[in-house]
Amino acid sequence: MSKTKSRYLRHSMLTIVLGLVLYLALGFGSRSFEAYCPFGGVESLWGLFTTGEFSCALGPLNLSFLLALLVLTLLCKKAFCGWACPIGFLGELSARLGGWVWKKRPRIPAGANSSLKLLRYAVLVVALFFTCRTGELVLRGYDPFFLIFSGFGHGSVGIVSVMVLSGIIIGMWIVPMFFCRYLCPMGAVFDPFSRIALLRVARDTSKCTGCGRCSRACLHDIPVQNLQTVRHRDCTNCLDCLDACPEKDALQLRAEL
Amino acid sequence: MRLPTFVIPVLVTLALLAGYGLRTSFTRPTTVQTFAKGTGATATFVVDGVRCKGTAMFFSSLYEDIPGILGIETFATERTAVFSYDPKVITRDRIQAIMETPIPFEDGTTSRVFKCMSVR
Repeated sequence: MSKTKSRYLRHSMLTIVLGLVLYLALGFGSRSFEAYCPFGGVESLWGLFTTGEFSCALGPLNLSFLLALLVLTLLCKKAFCGWACPIGFLGELSARLGGWVWKKRPRIPAGANSSLKLLRYAVLVVALFFTCRTGELVLRGYDPFFLIFSGFGHGSVGIVSVMVLSGIIIGMWIVPMFFCRYLCPMGAVFDPFSRIALLRVARDTSKCTGCGRCSRACLHDIPVQNLQTVRHRDCTNCLDCLDACPEKDALQLRAEL
Repeated sequence: MRLPTFVIPVLVTLALLAGYGLRTSFTRPTTVQTFAKGTGATATFVVDGVRCKGTAMFFSSLYEDIPGILGIETFATERTAVFSYDPKVITRDRIQAIMETPIPFEDGTTSRVFKCMSVR
């Protein structure tokens, strides 16, 4: 696969996924678009263990997707986020749109970036706490996936939902992958699996010229040019760094234990 | 070991297909209502409006006092309701008509809450 083809292929896959979710969201399919959310699988676990029933609008597809994606994450990091998540795709499109608007995008200092990433663990804990407590998806009204594809449907909380979604969209224009980096609870679930994943981008230091194009291409601000292998938990194996690298085989996809 | 880059989209596609295929192993009804004992015919309706546990329970409650309905299982994510019924007492068309009857509200208005999309 040539360099340009990997991004075309990725965007084609994401467009198909986005189309399928929209198809379900518009009511054409026989199931709810929420069935595609693997975080629903996490939220349904408590209900399944305690009462043997799925919570609220969750179902078997949420759980089976969750299990399949955890295995996928063990194999190739957060590839779901980069290759098949509709919100990740919208975040990427927003980031690229923001890239045209900003001549020089403001960068979040590394320390603040790391600290802000703790927010997604807080979102995870809050989401699980309220779901376990009430058996309802009470955070639906603040979930961009639900708000966008349901068109602020049942469960949204009026002006608050509008403000939250607007904040997330503005955030994604300013900071690439703002929601994925700081707020996505599914990302928090994937984190430990992603750290030990088998497939990673590796840098051949003898061929790398240190031009830094790989780091600049990374929407998650991973300093690829300084790493021997990309073990970073946020890497989605989107392969944009490989696309950006001007040196032949300086960056490679490798399987390493 | 060096790998070709197409491995990633292949694995993602396989994972999504595996997730879809595995769903039957975890199938559980959203609600189960048994109104009368006995065995009868079954009919599966795809119902627009059965979205969650709350709407599924409300849907089932419409049939609580209807003669001939033995039980209902609902599956919210599939928007389906599986009816067990006595075909000598009630027909599929009657079951469908009941779910599509406008529901009167306390303020005097009525609304059609459920709509049958298909019957299996």
